[in-house]
Amino acid sequence: MSRFAAEKLAELRVEALQLGARIVESIPRTTNILLEQDLEGAEYQILSDDEFDARTLDLEENSIVLMALQAPVATDLRRALVIMKLSAELERTADLVANLCKVSRRIHGQILDERLQVLIRVMGDHSRQQMQVAVEAYANEDAALAASVRTLDERLDDLQRKFIQTIFECSADSSLELSVAIQMAITARFYERIGDHAVNIADLVEFLVTGSKPPSRPRLLDGPTPTPAGGQ
Amino acid sequence: MSFVLGVIVGLGLALLIAVPFLKSRFHNRARNLEKAASERTNDAIARFENQSLLIRTALDSLTVGVVVASAKGEVLFRNRVASGMTGALHADVLVDEAVDVHLRGALSGEHRRQVIELFGPPSRVVLVAAYPIEEGGALATIEDITERSRLDAVRTDFVANISHELKTPVGALAVLAEALADETEPEVIRRLSSKMVEESIRAGRTIDDLLELSRIELGGEAIKEAIAVGLVIAEAVDRVRTLADRRGVVLRVLEPGERLKVLGDRRQIVSALGNLVENAVKYSESGKLVEVSASTDGLSVDMRVRDEGMGIPSRDLDRIFERFYRVDRARSRETGGTGLGLAIVRHVANNHGGDVLVSSIEGEGSTFTLRIPAAPGLTVASSLSEAG
Repeated sequence: MSRFAAEKLAELRVEALQLGARIVESIPRTTNILLEQDLEGAEYQILSDDEFDARTLDLEENSIVLMALQAPVATDLRRALVIMKLSAELERTADLVANLCKVSRRIHGQILDERLQVLIRVMGDHSRQQMQVAVEAYANEDAALAASVRTLDERLDDLQRKFIQTIFECSADSSLELSVAIQMAITARFYERIGDHAVNIADLVEFLVTGSKPPSRPRLLDGPTPTPAGGQ
Repeated sequence: MSFVLGVIVGLGLALLIAVPFLKSRFHNRARNLEKAASERTNDAIARFENQSLLIRTALDSLTVGVVVASAKGEVLFRNRVASGMTGALHADVLVDEAVDVHLRGALSGEHRRQVIELFGPPSRVVLVAAYPIEEGGALATIEDITERSRLDAVRTDFVANISHELKTPVGALAVLAEALADETEPEVIRRLSSKMVEESIRAGRTIDDLLELSRIELGGEAIKEAIAVGLVIAEAVDRVRTLADRRGVVLRVLEPGERLKVLGDRRQIVSALGNLVENAVKYSESGKLVEVSASTDGLSVDMRVRDEGMGIPSRDLDRIFERFYRVDRARSRETGGTGLGLAIVRHVANNHGGDVLVSSIEGEGSTFTLRIPAAPGLTVASSLSEAG
């Protein structure tokens, strides 16, 4: 690959990393927005999603242009491919984060049961950690680190099940309105989805480093527990 | 003729002999000069290297990140802190991104500043600033202002709280005085004026506590002397006895041995312990017990105040020592506290190199322990005195 192309690819990599870092940072921020019912923060986060989307689209397009015009091969080709797919994952994750902010608008003024607050905090922290590890694995092109993301995801899935169960418990003590219960159920789902995107990113990193696709996940067959609200 | 010829030949011969001689001399000279010059250059290079190493080391040991960019926007230098200060890769990436953006701004002649709040973990507040350099190029600094912004927030809270705490009774006084001015009914006048007395006492107490707190915070002149713990407890409990009687709270003192002594400022320690006992009484219902005791491990003395009150939720335990922090804002007027008591206790403990500890179970009660260094050589025999 020409020097020009190599520089171009390095630039795209930095951009991908910056977007990844932004996502990692936005997760704890959003958890805080949810718990503190910070409407202003939510508004800001939702508005910044448009800019983020534009950046991911640019990144995707630039990686396609690079592949088309510079015809990279081997690792460089995988790098360009991964950037293309990564941008889509990041874009979806950013949407989930924005959705969580919208939840915070809908539950505004409601006092959440302490059990639910704890679970939101734990799930938020867990999905943040998962995304952080995935982005770090991408930054260092570290396949071993990437492989650890899937282990983390199992815990996040357990947490989601626990979350749903707690929603039922709270509802049974009648300390939870139906509308809030629905919002809580999709909150758990959103966090769980963020974790799934982290796993996808980690898979991309494994592909980037090893050149082979990681084995498909049997976990997806049993699927997450259906929510009483029927999911999102 | 032959003379002239002889002279010419002679000169020629002389030249023939002199030229190589002179030539070698010039050579030597030139070589010497060259050598000197190269030595000087080497010196200069070595000096320069030393200097740049020195500057580099100095910049690396700064706690502020420094990034220098050339006029074309290439990064020429980045000190150690600037290559990773937040302790998390993604946060570093975000800081770098901001530095890049602002360096570009600075290259077009702007002064840039941005405060970045990072949720982490660890959560950080980072100030990125960029300036153009006169000779061309730009400089960016990265500063971790987490602690500074935390203190700012505490200060803002404090000012807001103190304004509120002082304004409430003063506002009440104004309203009461207004009502009093138009009142003719003696019974109502009596009620209003007694209310006024209550409110002015409240404002006065807040001011007293503030003064006490700032005096303790300034510290300095605290006199450290050996003080008998029994006397401290007696004095602290005496202050609250009327309140306890009025509320029907049972005050029990487990007298410590006479020889149990602490090293400290009597006034401060009495004030701290008094605050703890007062809190315990205020937050206990009628018929409940407040118990004051003391014990020692030989190095320090623990003065304990145990109550059977409502207890403190665990999420509030970290914060109760902050000024004006209330676990339950709705109750704060009812109990008539100033919100400064525990802040005073903590400062007293700190001033004495001691500590204040709290353990609490919601619904069962709380135990506060004021730990103060024991007076030397006086305590060993008294460690069993708690039973007395």
